[in-house]
Amino acid sequence: MSTKLASIKNQERFTSTILYIILITMAVVWLAPFLIIVLTSVRNMGDLIENGVFAWPEQFVLSNFERAWNIGNFSTYFRNSLILIILKVPLGIVIASLAAYPLAKMRFRLNNAIFIFFLMGLAIPVHVTLTPLLVMMKQLGIQGTLLALIPPYVVFGLPFQIFVMRGFFRTVPSELLEAARLDGSSEMGIFWRILMPLSVPALATLFIIDALATWNELLIALVLISATEWRTVPAGLLQFQGQFSSQYTQLMAGVLLSITPIVTLYVFLQRYMVAGLTAGALKE
Amino acid sequence: MNLRKSLMVWLAVVTVMALVSGCVATPPQASNSATTSTGGEAAASSEEQITLRWANIMDATAQEQWALIVDAYEAENPNIDIVAESTAGSGAAIYPDVLKTSMASGSPPDLFFMWGGSIAQPFIEADQALDLGPYYEQYGWEENFAPWVLERISSDGKLYGVPYHARGMGFWYRTDIFAENGWSVPTTFAEQEALCASMKEADMYCISLGGKFGWHTMRVLDYFLEHHCGPEIHDQLNRLETSWSQQCVVDSYSTFQTWINDGWVTPDFLNVEPNDSRFPFFAGEAGLVLEGDWYEGVLKNNEQDVANYSFYLPPTDQEPLRFSTFPEQWMIPVGAEHPDEAAAFINFITSAETQQAMFINDFSSSATVGVNPDCEEWPLSCEWREHILGAESTYPPTDQAFVKELMDDFFEVQDTLVAGRLTPQEGADLMQQRVEEWQAQ
Amino acid sequence: MPAKAIGRVTFEALSQSPLLDQGEMAHMATIAKHNEISKQRSDQMRRRRPLRLTPYLFIMPALIWYLIFLVYPMFQSLVISFMDWDGLSANITYVGFANYRNLLFEDDTARQAIRNNILWTLGTLLIPTVIGLLLASALDRDLRGRTLLRAIFYGPAILPLVAVGMIWAWMYNPQFGFINTILREIGLGSLARGWLSTFETALPATFVTAIWGGVGFPMVLYLAALQAIPKEQYEAAKMDGANGRQLFFRITLPWLREAHVIVFSLAVINSFRTFDLIYTMTYGGPGRITQVLGTWMYFNAFQYYHAGYGAAIAWVIAAITLVVAIPYIRHMSRE
Repeated sequence: MSTKLASIKNQERFTSTILYIILITMAVVWLAPFLIIVLTSVRNMGDLIENGVFAWPEQFVLSNFERAWNIGNFSTYFRNSLILIILKVPLGIVIASLAAYPLAKMRFRLNNAIFIFFLMGLAIPVHVTLTPLLVMMKQLGIQGTLLALIPPYVVFGLPFQIFVMRGFFRTVPSELLEAARLDGSSEMGIFWRILMPLSVPALATLFIIDALATWNELLIALVLISATEWRTVPAGLLQFQGQFSSQYTQLMAGVLLSITPIVTLYVFLQRYMVAGLTAGALKE
Repeated sequence: MNLRKSLMVWLAVVTVMALVSGCVATPPQASNSATTSTGGEAAASSEEQITLRWANIMDATAQEQWALIVDAYEAENPNIDIVAESTAGSGAAIYPDVLKTSMASGSPPDLFFMWGGSIAQPFIEADQALDLGPYYEQYGWEENFAPWVLERISSDGKLYGVPYHARGMGFWYRTDIFAENGWSVPTTFAEQEALCASMKEADMYCISLGGKFGWHTMRVLDYFLEHHCGPEIHDQLNRLETSWSQQCVVDSYSTFQTWINDGWVTPDFLNVEPNDSRFPFFAGEAGLVLEGDWYEGVLKNNEQDVANYSFYLPPTDQEPLRFSTFPEQWMIPVGAEHPDEAAAFINFITSAETQQAMFINDFSSSATVGVNPDCEEWPLSCEWREHILGAESTYPPTDQAFVKELMDDFFEVQDTLVAGRLTPQEGADLMQQRVEEWQAQ
Repeated sequence: MPAKAIGRVTFEALSQSPLLDQGEMAHMATIAKHNEISKQRSDQMRRRRPLRLTPYLFIMPALIWYLIFLVYPMFQSLVISFMDWDGLSANITYVGFANYRNLLFEDDTARQAIRNNILWTLGTLLIPTVIGLLLASALDRDLRGRTLLRAIFYGPAILPLVAVGMIWAWMYNPQFGFINTILREIGLGSLARGWLSTFETALPATFVTAIWGGVGFPMVLYLAALQAIPKEQYEAAKMDGANGRQLFFRITLPWLREAHVIVFSLAVINSFRTFDLIYTMTYGGPGRITQVLGTWMYFNAFQYYHAGYGAAIAWVIAAITLVVAIPYIRHMSRE
């Protein structure tokens, strides 16, 4: 009996060791490109050229960061991208969640049709909408400003967010909503006071996905915004590559600088999500 | 009620939005309605504050240096505010798309950067580029630039742009490596091939290429075409006035395949970034690169000792000895809000006085005659300028002779040849077939 | 009293987040079971409720936004797809279905692109999806450092495209590339080659990068679904003597249904729309061997000045994905 238990334990230990080895190997492979970015950003251009990009730096320097910060105009780009995330991401997610609620939890005639109609948006290539979008923004009088990015960014996120939020809301037990209805709560009340609080982790996940996508979006940002003062981070990164020259070391320093805020946000959000959850659990 | 209230707010917001955008949305071809006010009269209202939108491809370093010139102009013209709209990026690949979209949607900049030849042609054909003839008269621009540069940017005898850069390309090499091995600069095509052969013996590649995008590889093919076909037929080929399916094209393709098969070209280069092709060259693993006058700046940026580098014009065995050059220019869109002010600004930034007084690196390839970099500091650029501005005759890179669509056919044939999937004869036939298909369109 | 009950009952729902450490929380099987039963009851109740206008009011903001900023531009591009237009000038000619006819019957590159898209789609359905699912199952266990590991596998999404393109170009470089260096080190030097430069390997090599960047997304979605499965179900089944395989097929797979729908349909849709990676890494080359519909549309509309043709390609992309994905989603979302 005890030997059997021991063998099961051994087997489990064996399995998890194997699992660890596989996972850690994969993690190393997944991280390798990040390592190259870091190594490239802390060396001299001459060193890079002479010894190749995969060699260990002869000497660690921070001048690339200094130079990248100075010429890269990052404070402006950070400000713009952050404003954009703060305005766009919650707006998009709220609109999407509002629409996802009836699609997931109410029975009405056009339910399926509307859902499919939204899903079609997933299939639309961004490029063909650029010219009409620019015309629209011009007519709305917001072309060239940060505001011009909000309508297209929101709309390109909508189908996916509706898709996911609908799937999520469907797993919320219906009798919860019924109970609230019997208590006299309005549908809007149910949405804000029951569905949304329950969805905080899902919303935070969507927030991360959406914030990352927004932070890295390049094409729409380039076309709709021409003035440097309203450019976003990825458009700013382009400046490190001229027609005939590529400042690899400065570019990589710029890349690291450019992802710092979003990495911070990521870490922060993760904590916030755990905290939000614990708070919810303690309430009972 | 709570529900009603919030919904009403939502409805109000979206309805307003719908109304605003619904009422005014029209199809995107508004730009042609803009009146084409051409030069002659100077801007009437000098008091009025004017913002000039200036589209270019400058990277951060260039922008930093240009600030000097822009500031000087704004100081001289307090009513003008210059706003640079820079779209840099590797090879400036996205810039034309951004520019095009702005024009198609009726909000073009006031002046914009453009390459020469076939890259500018679609803008001219679509009536998006202003005929600058009147401004040429007003400012007497014609005197300022080398004749071949003006010739190259004119279309149907009209000038739609003002030359900005005049660039030329040749073989760059390491003087120290040449000295070590006792090599000398070749003066005939046979010597060039002999040089490559001795490099191979010295365990080096002859030339380093980055085939992604196609144009880096194209430079070598252009050189072979010039050598095998001669100036006259090469120009006819570029203008599609003669068949591509002819012996000298087959010979060029065949020479290229020989160079590759003999191991004279860095292997597997087809999807290497052109910028990355510098690594083997700087490391002394490849003897040559086919690059332009800008390369001295590249060397400095890459912390290379410029004293160890030099260049020569590829020998073609043809009379005259032509090399590849291309202009870059400033253009004014038809829909520009302030064409007169844009022309005045162009006049300022292309004039010899301005450029000489406030010399920045960017002007070392200037198209303006009489502008010279400090030859102590920029010896190779100095030497290039004599070649470029003094050239009797030059040839354009094929990508400024063909429109992009045909160019990509050219690149496809080129890549397929490199991969050895076509014989030279098949390649020439296929190229001719593509030309005919394109002409039939 | 309902508010407090809610806090308990929805514990399962809360646990959807993939970024949460679920192991620390207790699961409430009884409540979950209770949910299952009461679901049917409440559905019946709902049917009787008069909710005529309310759903539409909720949908309205999204719908209007969607109509204005996506449907309207897309409709414009539909009109343009029947035109011959350079995208710049005032000369627009109506050409009927000519663009579509050329695209489907005459354009060799388009055929190549469709072939590549199909391969890409099959590949995406198989490899990143399966790896994502495996990673999710592994990281669903009580492993030390799993939060960090999740972040690592989702990490590529943080990098801007320009960095991804440059780094992977270096990895694949024929001379100094990391991958070739490794191959030479381990005695497989004969395999070393310019992976992106060779006609046969360019697309697979690009796809490897896509795997690197693409496992995080299904992993996150599968994790969310896995964590929602009540552990008690497994225990109950184990008591009934079910083995590992039976557990997987009887419990895990059915619970992953909703996640499969999202993962599979997005895999199809995004594969047919794929653009960024091809554009950055191969630019459609060498030759035109790695062109996909997304890049071919871009080349036509923006670089070749065939706005009409480009729009037609965009509509073909949309049509193909919809024909494949929508019936699947509809079928799967029926209860």
